[in-house]
Amino acid sequence: MPMKLMAVSRRRPGLTRADYFRYIEHYHGTVARLERFKIDRYIQNHVIDGAFGVLSDTEHHNRVADRDGVVELHFSEFRDMIATLEPEGVTQSRANKDGKFFADEPNNIIVMAEEIELPVPNPLPKFNPGLGEPGMGAVKVMQFIMRRPEVFPQDFPRLWRRAHDEALAASPYAQEMFRRIVVSLRSRVNDNDAAARAHFRMVDPPVYDMEVSFWLDSMENVGAFRQYLEAIQANPLPFADWSRSFFLYTRPVRIIDDAPPKD
Amino acid sequence: MSDYDFIPSFITPDFSKPEWRAQKSYSQNLADSVIKAMLPPLTPEEEARPFAKYYYEEIKQPDPAHLALMDEPMDPSRAYGPEEINRLLDLEYLEKEEVEIGWCNLPNGAGYIANKNFYPGVTADMIDWWFAWHPLEDLRYRIWYPPQHAGIMLSPIDRARILDPSIPNREKNWGVVHNVTENCDCGFENIDIAFRSPADMGFDMEKFERVAATFVGGMGWSVAVNKCDDSITAPAIMCHIFYDVPDGLLHRTRFWMGYRFTVEGKPELCLPPKVSVPAANVQGLARHNVKEFTRFGDFLPRIYKELGDSMYC
Repeated sequence: MPMKLMAVSRRRPGLTRADYFRYIEHYHGTVARLERFKIDRYIQNHVIDGAFGVLSDTEHHNRVADRDGVVELHFSEFRDMIATLEPEGVTQSRANKDGKFFADEPNNIIVMAEEIELPVPNPLPKFNPGLGEPGMGAVKVMQFIMRRPEVFPQDFPRLWRRAHDEALAASPYAQEMFRRIVVSLRSRVNDNDAAARAHFRMVDPPVYDMEVSFWLDSMENVGAFRQYLEAIQANPLPFADWSRSFFLYTRPVRIIDDAPPKD
Repeated sequence: MSDYDFIPSFITPDFSKPEWRAQKSYSQNLADSVIKAMLPPLTPEEEARPFAKYYYEEIKQPDPAHLALMDEPMDPSRAYGPEEINRLLDLEYLEKEEVEIGWCNLPNGAGYIANKNFYPGVTADMIDWWFAWHPLEDLRYRIWYPPQHAGIMLSPIDRARILDPSIPNREKNWGVVHNVTENCDCGFENIDIAFRSPADMGFDMEKFERVAATFVGGMGWSVAVNKCDDSITAPAIMCHIFYDVPDGLLHRTRFWMGYRFTVEGKPELCLPPKVSVPAANVQGLARHNVKEFTRFGDFLPRIYKELGDSMYC
């Protein structure tokens, strides 16, 4: 069963965003290709913009309200992920050593998750080089949702799904523009994340039980996500801590992907 | 913020009933589990419940010969993984060839437990009622095995499902999570058990309907009540299958520790390479299983006669 490891990072002191993007795509990406271990797919999501918390907050509730990249490592199964984070016979992989050159490592966030794809009313039906591949789009919105601590983990995705369906039904522009939606549900294997914490050098990371990715054709369409966001945040179901949740507009970059392009 | 504002508005709890007054939030239950693990005396409200007397009765002890079969590990070549769960439907093979009571580590490091009990006078309806009825209050779970069962909680959505009279008792737990606090002979743990239908466990349902009387099982994640940063949260697949036999029910248990179900519903080993489930944990759960189900077979017919078949009392 595929398992995905997402790491959300902020650039290290002294780097511009352009420096950071250049480094992770061209240097760190090359390191990952050279030392692939058991990685099936590796996607970098370069952050264009984003927002943390909600407008009614008077101050930030996230320890870090600034993120520059989200890497997604896909594995066939959990054991392959561990074998990559702690490769046998290797004291420290090159990718592991490289993190300090671009990331503010103690403030990384990781989510080990399994994906569930949801239907969208208006998928991109055919290949269009101006917009993207079928089922894809040039812009990916990544929404990290924190569960309210009172809410049972088993109820959280049920409540989210109900609120999501209602929000989408109330958002005609989002219905038109969302080309693909993938829900990443945090796995309980993430509870045993010592290897990942060591690899990404995190200190007391916040826990996100869900990430939802929305694909749109271009940055001109992100208003569709804002319409949907207002609707889901206004939903009275008490499942999310929106003040500690955040979303990022990103540009996905393929680093490792053996799947043939869709056409 | 009210004490119950975590309950979604589409649920209408009836707080005049103890079955709803037991509802706590997830964070509150997690905090309470530390107290529950100390096995505190019953509260005055619990003392007044009609089933409180079961808490104080003498617990039937297991047959020493049965418990002794859990002293040493069995031959791992005679054990198997959850991918072969349908072996539990091959009665002839089970009776002639299988190790029915024992535990071991599989070659891949997983923990394996097999157990078998006969319950005179017990019916499938009693099993279905008990597993739906008992998660509604801590005391209902505690009376099952007072020395090692400390407490239980349901989420509001799961509680509403259990109390929904339109859902048959046999199906109430399908998709429901029991958040239990229990000692499986290795210290108190919080165990979140996600119950599944037999079809979702991977059973061949055509054969299952011919062979089995009823079923209870799913997947659990357990972690120490006093968890710290390095605590391991351990998965296990649990299977209790019951068969009609003359004068009662036969119960076969299998545990596969180190396995989980993926989102797609497939069993998957999720131990790191070269890591095994500690033998003490496998043996601990095996011994606990013998003890709790010896007690189960003894008191289920009596409590069912008194309080079955309703969820309320």
